[in-house]
Amino acid sequence: MSGVTIQGVRKRFGAVEVLHGIDVQVDEGAFAVLVGPSGCGKSTLLRMVAGLEEIDDGEIRVGGRVVNDVEAKDRDIAMVFQNYALYPHMTVAENMSFALRLAGAPKAEVRNCVLEAARILGLEPLLERHPRQLSGGQRQRVAMGRAIVRKPKVFLFDEPLSNLDAKMRVQMRAEIKALHQRLRTTTLYVTHDQVEAMTMADIVVVMHAGRVEQIGAPLALYDEPANLFVAQFIGSPAMNVLRGTWTADGGSSRLVTPEGIVLPVDGGGPPVEAGTPLAVGFRPEHLELHDTGLDAEVVVVEPTGSETQVLMRCRGTELVAVFRERFKSRPGETVRVRPATDHLHYFETSQGRRLAAAG
Amino acid sequence: MARARGFALRAALLETGMLLTGVVFAFPLYLLLTLALKPQSSWASDPLGLPTQLFFGNVTAAWTQAHLASAMLTSALVVVASTVILVVLGALAAYWIARRVGRLSYGVYLFFIAGMILPFQLALIPLYSTMRELGLLGSPASLILFYPGLKLPLTIFLYAGFIRSLSRSYEEAASMDGANQWQVFWHVVLPMMRPITGTVVILNGVFIWNDFLTPLLYLSGSRWATLPVVIYTFVGQESGDMGLVFGGLLVAMTPVLIAFFVLQRHMIKGFAGGLKG
Repeated sequence: MSGVTIQGVRKRFGAVEVLHGIDVQVDEGAFAVLVGPSGCGKSTLLRMVAGLEEIDDGEIRVGGRVVNDVEAKDRDIAMVFQNYALYPHMTVAENMSFALRLAGAPKAEVRNCVLEAARILGLEPLLERHPRQLSGGQRQRVAMGRAIVRKPKVFLFDEPLSNLDAKMRVQMRAEIKALHQRLRTTTLYVTHDQVEAMTMADIVVVMHAGRVEQIGAPLALYDEPANLFVAQFIGSPAMNVLRGTWTADGGSSRLVTPEGIVLPVDGGGPPVEAGTPLAVGFRPEHLELHDTGLDAEVVVVEPTGSETQVLMRCRGTELVAVFRERFKSRPGETVRVRPATDHLHYFETSQGRRLAAAG
Repeated sequence: MARARGFALRAALLETGMLLTGVVFAFPLYLLLTLALKPQSSWASDPLGLPTQLFFGNVTAAWTQAHLASAMLTSALVVVASTVILVVLGALAAYWIARRVGRLSYGVYLFFIAGMILPFQLALIPLYSTMRELGLLGSPASLILFYPGLKLPLTIFLYAGFIRSLSRSYEEAASMDGANQWQVFWHVVLPMMRPITGTVVILNGVFIWNDFLTPLLYLSGSRWATLPVVIYTFVGQESGDMGLVFGGLLVAMTPVLIAFFVLQRHMIKGFAGGLKG
C-alpha cells in the first residue's frame, strides 16, 4: 500500500490548458474523492494517475516513486471504469483473472485469488457467466473484483456508480466503502455527485475549472467552505446566498441586498467595514420559522417523510429551507423565516473567498 | 387513434413490400433448386412445381463430368488464403488507423479509401503484366496476392469503422491489467471484433468465390481453375443438357449458402456496429 502525491500537475489538450497546477496529497490507506462539475478536469487527473494520459508538467508519485514516465501496465494501479470495461468475450472468472494470467501466475494461485475476491464480493455463483448475462450492480461488482484480485497499491474509480439506478447506487456506495474499510488500499474516486463524495470520502478534493478549490474532510468542507463555489457545490440542497452591502450603525449590523432584503446580524459578523460588498450564505437547514424573520412566499413544498424541503421567494430572491418538523403552510401563503445567526458564512464578492466571523 | 391506424397501415405496407422483395430474390434460387433436383424430362410438364421425389442425377453427373471437386478445392484454397490474409492485415492496419491520433493515420486511411473508389479495371493490364513478370500466371498464388490487395481497402474501411465505435476503456483496462500493446490487441481487441470479422469474411469470401474474370485471366491454360471458370466452360460444353448445368450451379452455390447461414448473425451484428458488454 502506498500514498499518492500529485504536485504542480498541469495538462494541456492542444493549446487549451485543462489542469492548472494541481497539488493533492493522498495518504496511504486513505479514501480520497475528487469531486466537481462536468469538465472540471477530475477524470483527466485520475487518468494521469492511472498512466492513461501524459503529464505535461509537475510530478505524480505513487508510494514515493515518480511515475510520470512509467507505463500504465507497470504502475501497479487498478482502475474501475465508468462503463466497467469488462471484456465481453470472457467469463467473470476470466475477467477477474486476466491480470494474474498475463503476469504468468501459477494456475492454483490464480484460482485462489479469484475465489477469494469472488467470496468477498459475493460473486461465487456468477463466475462462469459472461458480462452480458449480469445486471448493472453485478457488473460493477465484477469490475471491483477484477481490481482487487491483483492486490494493487492504489485503486482508481472513475464515476463507477453513474450507470446504476438510484437504489443500486446507494447499495454499491456502501459496498465500496465497506470494501475499502476491509482492504485499506489507497483509493482515488472520481464523481460529480457531492453526496457520494460526502458519504464515502476520508478527504474530499473539490475541483473547478482545472483547479483545486478546497481539500478537506467532508464535514470540514460542509461547515467551513473555503469559498462560494465550495459552499454552493457541497451540500444538497445547495447553500442559500444573499449578496448585498454590509451596513453597521451603533451596535447592530446587517446585510442589505439590492432587492431590499435586510438581514440583521446579532453580534459577530465579518471583520469588514460598513459599505463593503458581501455575500452571506446559510444552509437550508439553518433557515428557521420566526415571527421577526423575513417575509417569504411559499412556492413549492416537497415533503420526503423525514423532512420537508420548501422553496420560497423573498423579494424576488429564491431561498430553500429544510424543516425536520412537519410544514403546515401551502404554496402561495407567506411565512416568516430567518437564518440562525451562528450558522452564517461570509464571503467577499471579488474572488468569493471565505471571511472568518469576528469574535 | 387515427395516428395509430396510420402507423399500422404503413407497417403493413412496408412488410408486404419487404415480403415481395424477398420473393423476387428467392425465386431464382427456388427455380435453380427445383430444376436441378428434377430430371429434365419432367421440366416441360411441371416447370415451377416442387420435385415429386428428389433426383440427384444432375448433380452427380455434373460433379463427375465437370471435375467440380478439383475446382472446388482450388476455389477453397484461394478463398481461405485470401480471407485469412485480409482479416490479419485488415484488422491490424485498421486498429492502428482507428486508434492513432494525428494526420499520418488519417492520411493512410484516406489512401486506402481511395483504393475503394478507383475502378480496379484500370489496373487490369498493368497487374496482368506484373504477374507475368513475377512468373505467377497460372498459379493460384497470383489470385492469393491479387484479392487481398483488391479488397484491403473495403476490409480496412469496415474494421476501422467498427473499432472507432468500440470504447477505448476496454483497451485501457487491459493495459492497466498489465497487457502490452500486442497483448491488448490479441486478447481484447481481436476477440471483440468477431462480428465485423464475420462481415469481412462473408463479403470478401463470396466475392472471391464468385469472381470470374480474374481467375479466367490469371489461370487460363494452367491445370488450376476455380469453380466459376469451370462452370462457365461446362455450360459452353453442355448447353444442350440444362439439367447438368443446373446441377453444377447448385454444387457451386452450396458452400456459399452454408457459409452465409453460419455467419449471417455475425454479419448483421458487424453492420449494426457496436458491442453489448
